[in-house]
Amino acid sequence: MPALTEARKKSLRREMEALLGPGAVLSDPDELMVYESDGLTLFRALADFVVFPLTAEHVAALVRLAQREGLPFVARGAGTGLSGGCLPAEGGLVISLMRMNRVLEVDYDNQLAVVEPGLVNLHLSWAVGARGFYYAPDPSSQQACTIGGNIANNSGGPHTLKYGVTTNHVLGLEVVLPDGEIVWLGGKTRDPQGYDLTGIFVGSEGTFGIATKIVLRILRQPQAVRTVLAVFNEIDQASEAVSAIIARGLIPAAMEMIDQLTIQAVEDAFGCGYPRDAAAALLIEMDGLAAGMDEQAARVIAACRETGAREVRLARDEAERQLLWKGRKSAFGAYGRISPAYLVMDGVIPRTRLPYVLRRVNEIVAGYGLRVGNVFHAGDGNLHPNILYDPRKPGEEQRVVAAGGEILKVCAEVGGSISGEHGIGLEKRDYMPLIFSEADLGCMARVKRAFNPTGLCNPGKIFPSRKGCAEAGFASRPHPIEEAGLAQRF
Amino acid sequence: MHSPLSRRLAEIVGGAHVLTGAECAPYVVEGRTPECAVFPGSREDIAAVLGVAADSGTPVMPWGGGTGMALGSPPAHPGLVLGLRRLGRLLEHEPGDLTATVEAGMTLEAFQAELSRRGQWLSLDPPQAARATLGGILASNASGPRRHLYGTARDLLIGITMVLADGAIVRGGGKVVKNVAGYDLPKLAVGSFGTLGVIVEATVKLRPRPDCDRLVVARFSTLAEAGQAARAVMASDLIPSALDVVDGEGLRALDGEGAPGGAALLVGVDGIAEQVEWQCEEVGRLLKDCGLAGVRVLDGTERDEAWRAVGEMPQRAFTDATAGMKWGVLPTQVAELIARAGAVASQRGLRAAFVAHAGLGIISAVLDAAGADAEQVACTLGEWRALVNGSGGHALVEWAPLAVKERIAVWDTPGPDSRIMRQLKAELDPRGILNPGRFLGGI
Repeated sequence: MPALTEARKKSLRREMEALLGPGAVLSDPDELMVYESDGLTLFRALADFVVFPLTAEHVAALVRLAQREGLPFVARGAGTGLSGGCLPAEGGLVISLMRMNRVLEVDYDNQLAVVEPGLVNLHLSWAVGARGFYYAPDPSSQQACTIGGNIANNSGGPHTLKYGVTTNHVLGLEVVLPDGEIVWLGGKTRDPQGYDLTGIFVGSEGTFGIATKIVLRILRQPQAVRTVLAVFNEIDQASEAVSAIIARGLIPAAMEMIDQLTIQAVEDAFGCGYPRDAAAALLIEMDGLAAGMDEQAARVIAACRETGAREVRLARDEAERQLLWKGRKSAFGAYGRISPAYLVMDGVIPRTRLPYVLRRVNEIVAGYGLRVGNVFHAGDGNLHPNILYDPRKPGEEQRVVAAGGEILKVCAEVGGSISGEHGIGLEKRDYMPLIFSEADLGCMARVKRAFNPTGLCNPGKIFPSRKGCAEAGFASRPHPIEEAGLAQRF
Repeated sequence: MHSPLSRRLAEIVGGAHVLTGAECAPYVVEGRTPECAVFPGSREDIAAVLGVAADSGTPVMPWGGGTGMALGSPPAHPGLVLGLRRLGRLLEHEPGDLTATVEAGMTLEAFQAELSRRGQWLSLDPPQAARATLGGILASNASGPRRHLYGTARDLLIGITMVLADGAIVRGGGKVVKNVAGYDLPKLAVGSFGTLGVIVEATVKLRPRPDCDRLVVARFSTLAEAGQAARAVMASDLIPSALDVVDGEGLRALDGEGAPGGAALLVGVDGIAEQVEWQCEEVGRLLKDCGLAGVRVLDGTERDEAWRAVGEMPQRAFTDATAGMKWGVLPTQVAELIARAGAVASQRGLRAAFVAHAGLGIISAVLDAAGADAEQVACTLGEWRALVNGSGGHALVEWAPLAVKERIAVWDTPGPDSRIMRQLKAELDPRGILNPGRFLGGI
């Protein structure tokens, strides 16, 4: 796509300002830089404009303008994503939804809420908390990330083990389709007729359009909660405890693992009371009815002891529970104190393969002369190895990326997936052939074309790039995505 | 009788697996007999069969247990039935992972029996489990009362393999419980009624079987009271696995005699013993203020039989029910809509029975129109649809005689989003050979 001329830029800026009002269009390079990456800073790309609509009609008008001009466009929430999914990889328009952040309606009797995409995840639980409700999906960035971004990535979080991920909580969406039409997919009622467009839209990483209203299920807060910290001298014991708990017929609300490097970083930074010499700790939370809760906790504790836990601590009160969770939730901040940078990996494996895969992860990273901290959703096999590195050291960034790629290969080999909750975005598009065949990707490309025939809506994401295809040995013939006209060669 | 088509199919799957002529009688849909019925033994053979069908422009009707074939607009041309019964194996079950991978033609009952041996189950309880296959359940998005707590196929399906119309064998999702790599193709497969591809394999999430599982049957003298009771349960700390409301006529399915004007609330509770006991007692305490007329707690075969009866309400409430609809409305609208729809039927001298997943707003409505003509039945269904659509809900004619379907659309009028649905169909099945004309908006 040829770059916009200065004159064209000026006239487009005037047109968009007339639509959105003053202050809602950024085009100065200094201002655009704020939006050049998301939570994954390995990738950077500058947009021509960043715009701030207030209504679905604004979004629709912007999308139509982009289509008219042949400009790529991408929606953006808080920019906390970890796969480069909201980057303006090919220039054009970044449509920020941060000004559309209202809770439009709460229907407690029918246990649903209608919200705008720019609403911060945690703010929904705050809004309905006084009446005893909450919104279940709780990504670790929930204090900042938006519901719209959660929709794009089908975000998870610690408590998705019991309650499911974002898609299990979305009833309907008002979306601006990539051609600018505003339509509803699903709604407030269950089992809408026709294909499950809501289901396919969630997790489409912004390539099927832009959600402007979202109908979400809200849940009643549980009567009782029990939180247990189990401490292990060996990582394998902690992994086995996860399986032992499942084998006892229990599905805790959350089951998180924290390894030694992470424990030490967290203790140095925040002092949450985790034993520094432990090889791993499991943070296990059960919630639900008060009746039978002690019995459930007893079963969990017994399973941990049986697999070799040296200490099992049951939080005595809410303050102690919060402290244990602080250890888990502040891990990323703690890494920041011991390393200039770290790459957050995201892969999924069958939970029975945890002992093997964790050993492999540690071997791989050590083989590259790097350090890794693991803090992750052990209950559903969603790994988050965090590889620590120093971007100022020549070649270190490349080694991190290479180690990450090997970890993803291991996940694929054991029958897992290359992303559990962060998305493919730009980061992992070239790893897609690890788990999907050409036919699989070709089918996805056709689905994409049904929503996004011009490809201008968030281009360059999810599907392997030409370069990646070559590396993966797909270069001998045109890739199905190219045949479908969805990817350019670059 | 061997047509060129059946000969070509026999070359692919073997003559023993192709039925023609009178042998196709079990596969009649809407009074129309298919040209032949073919039963491939592998996904590759399915791909080859689809190739033959595409070459000859023959429509293909994927067929599991045949329990859902009454649903949909009548096919213009029945074409060939593609039976999945030879793909009926459990491929993988790893209890520690709480997942299983199964071929599409396995019946739900056989699947559950296998899982049960390792203390687990698929938390999906649609009717007719002995005949319904996994593939059919997914394709028709069939569900049962326990969806109240455990969700539907869309929440439990984590991986899918389909054969597309062009013979491509494609996989979406995977075998792990959490996965956002690529588009969520499993969602597209659920409820697609075989119009996008032939489902050949599925990977699902499982749950441990609960220690205890009971059913509290609470009787009320009016439907309004039962509706209030359902709302009281919703607003309480209870966590039931099921919450169904049955109207007076629907009660016939439960005990053989209806209670005109009466109603029941069925509350399923499962978990460890202490939880279940507390919930059973709490239901009783809570519903006292709602006009509770009687309560029974069922367990074991009595419980299973009661749930089966509710699932088969359309067959059991009346000796010869005429038509059935499925509505989706807001949970708070359930009791009032049932009352109004019941009044519409009785004004026409027809009887109707209702059962609803009250916490979710899914209503199954059955019309007994013995002696009435097709016009009268269609008019009643049409009035019901107007009532439901007018309340912001949707209404589907699940089954009805052909003469009635000629007078009323099976599906609601499609919305603006149906444009995307048609584009999806055009992308995945450009020649329109998979179940053409039976789905929403003529897809």
